[in-house]
Amino acid sequence: MNASRIPTPPDVAWQQKHLLDVDVLSLAEIQLVMRTTDAMKEVLARPISKVPALRGTNVTILFYEASTRTRVSFEVAAKNLSADVVNIAASSSSVTKGESLVDTIRTVEALGADMIVMRHGTSGAPYLAAEVFSGSILNGGDGWHAHPSQALLDLYTMRAHLGDVRGKKVVILGDVLHSRVARSNVWSLTAAGADLWICGPTTILRGFDTWAGRWASGGAPGHVGFTVTSDVGAALRDADVVMALRLQRERMDAGLLPSLREYAARFGLTRERLAVAKPAALVMHPGPMNEGVEIAPDVAVLDRSVITEQVTNGVAVRMALLYLLAGGHPEAVTNA
Amino acid sequence: MPDLRVGKMVPLLEISRAWLVDPVGEREGPGEVVVRDGILEAVTWLQGAEADGIGPDGVLVLPGFLDIHVHLREPGNEDAETVASGLAAAAHGGFTTVCAMPNTTPAADEPGVFARVAGAAATSGSPVELLLHGAITVGRGGERLAALGELADAGAVGFSDDGSPVKSAIILRNALLYAGMLGLPIVEHAEDVTLTAGAEANEGLVATILGLKGWPAAAEISAVERAIAILDSVRADAPGARLHLTHLSTAGALDAVRRAKAAGLPVTCDVTPHHLGFTDEWVAGARRWAWEALDGAGTARDPWADGALVARPYATACRVNPPLRGAVDAAACLASLIDGTADAVVTDHAPHTAVDKETEFGLAAHGISGVELAFGVLLAAVAAGRLPLARAVAALTVGPAAVLGARPGRRGAARGLVEGEPADLVVVDAGDRWRVTADALASRGKNTPLLGRELPGRVLLTVAQGRLAYRDVAGDASGS
Ligand SMILES: [Zn+2]
Repeated sequence: MNASRIPTPPDVAWQQKHLLDVDVLSLAEIQLVMRTTDAMKEVLARPISKVPALRGTNVTILFYEASTRTRVSFEVAAKNLSADVVNIAASSSSVTKGESLVDTIRTVEALGADMIVMRHGTSGAPYLAAEVFSGSILNGGDGWHAHPSQALLDLYTMRAHLGDVRGKKVVILGDVLHSRVARSNVWSLTAAGADLWICGPTTILRGFDTWAGRWASGGAPGHVGFTVTSDVGAALRDADVVMALRLQRERMDAGLLPSLREYAARFGLTRERLAVAKPAALVMHPGPMNEGVEIAPDVAVLDRSVITEQVTNGVAVRMALLYLLAGGHPEAVTNA
Repeated sequence: MPDLRVGKMVPLLEISRAWLVDPVGEREGPGEVVVRDGILEAVTWLQGAEADGIGPDGVLVLPGFLDIHVHLREPGNEDAETVASGLAAAAHGGFTTVCAMPNTTPAADEPGVFARVAGAAATSGSPVELLLHGAITVGRGGERLAALGELADAGAVGFSDDGSPVKSAIILRNALLYAGMLGLPIVEHAEDVTLTAGAEANEGLVATILGLKGWPAAAEISAVERAIAILDSVRADAPGARLHLTHLSTAGALDAVRRAKAAGLPVTCDVTPHHLGFTDEWVAGARRWAWEALDGAGTARDPWADGALVARPYATACRVNPPLRGAVDAAACLASLIDGTADAVVTDHAPHTAVDKETEFGLAAHGISGVELAFGVLLAAVAAGRLPLARAVAALTVGPAAVLGARPGRRGAARGLVEGEPADLVVVDAGDRWRVTADALASRGKNTPLLGRELPGRVLLTVAQGRLAYRDVAGDASGS
């Protein structure tokens, strides 16, 4: 375990007890996450990629929605930090029995949880959990609202290739209305100063035009504005990053779109469409992909597709977040 | 009268040097009142030097309030509210008459349910008068007309499926025709449910940012316009048909009513304190009054940009149907009271248990417990110079009485400070403030986003039909 010290990032105070969304993070805090993630990447590159930072800490992963990738990513991250990990898939058991979220959180706390990583289908649910739980809540995705660890790993991945994203044109393409990934990315990318474009058909773009309109002359303090359009060509022109979002079949059932085929034809990320972007434009996707719908199979495997890198970076970002939320001051983490 | 208990006749009450508002006589000013043996014996208006130093920011004497839209939850959900606790809450809010909605379990769609509720009111000992709306359709199911005639004979003052709209246009038409024959209004909760399926928060910036499913204004506007068109179509057959649109929350719906009134249609409407005082920003964590959420140009401020977010987001106390709207709609609600488009303020008092509210936002029960807080919210608007006091009082007294079509001589119909009648009044210290806490609320429903905040206007005393309905134990009800 001689290599278990985590390199020390510059000293910026981490103010958050919970991480429910990125909207509360200052740019300095976002940069702290990025630097802590650098440190975690270094740990992951070692032969024994495990540090004792969270030894004795119980991290309970409470998922009300099935999601293998995010759950496993958090689990690997927590184990790399030597946490004790408890997995609870709540969707099938407690909800159907009528156990309330509040009861579940109290039970999980009584069972010894120090931190809860929570995924829930209802927007805002982690805020209720945070009110009840005495430890830290890390939002692993709530309804349409937020997915902070995804937005931070997206930003980390962009920075790894582009350096500072300030002024870089980043396009989020697809079903933003139902996307917690899109909302959290709006906060993190506008904090980082990117030239953010949101693009999709009007029915699943609804509301974002209002948001962009309100921020047209600058956003919330510390944030820049962003652009919303249904014009794919205009959105992709000279883009530095294009992130396609998953389109779910339910959208047709709800009458929001005519068909997957029509969506793919008009809004799918194809080589032809991508041709107007910058030659080295990064291709991203939060997964899981519907290849042939929102993204063409030959685009997903392009050299400049960083989709698998997003998955790898996801573990490092989640290690950083767990570590910071655990109150980890970098200097305090030493070899056992 | 320190020993007088609730329900007992008020032997002697003298209130001197107060600000009186009499919406029947359309008069307000300094004055004094004397109640003897339950009768309002004397109302004296003070002039000249006697009136010096008496203003509308001190002790107010007002006619007892009338709320034509409350939910008392009995029978069926007594954990949330009983008739007794609801009437106690009403008295604390200054209301001497409330009209309960029929969405109980079972629904009040036949006279047997009325008898149970009236029995509970009688045994409560409260002098607050309880009026009842009957259901429009059997079980509020929207398919077959309820026992409208029998309900009318049992004392129904109107019919409503509130909680839900009357989905079927033909049922709404027939209900207007039949209730018109009975001389009673249809009280419609206007909502196009095809636009609101799964909706969580007012469609707009707040819902977008919070990832909540949008609840469009068009759902209310289109339902209001449909109901008005149907009303217009039945007038020839049923001259007595009346449509009352309750808890309107959007500028567009109020405009539609304004036009219908101008065209002479027998339509009335009301707005709630929460729709004119709160906004959808409250769901995001803001707690400023609606009129403070508008900029100088009359457009809504952005609470994310100006630091107005002070409470945690997704507070289920803010979940209500119709949803809290944006500041522009809230301003339209307030304006509608001033120009008379809205005939009344109703509280839509909707108490819920902690269990039904301590849950995820999208799963929480709709409704705000409001009958104790309504006048305080209106007083806040008055204090901000947004609402004349006389309009606020009229909207709680003569306005709703006119909606019901209360005829003189009927109990509680006067809604003024009328000498020789049983005293029906509320005494409020407009200069005092109080903190809204769970313990301070008589209602079993503690579900209000005002919990923990201060409201202006402490109700000192409520007298209903000459009997004591509420007395502030901490303050001093000036008088003997
Ligand atoms: Zn209603």
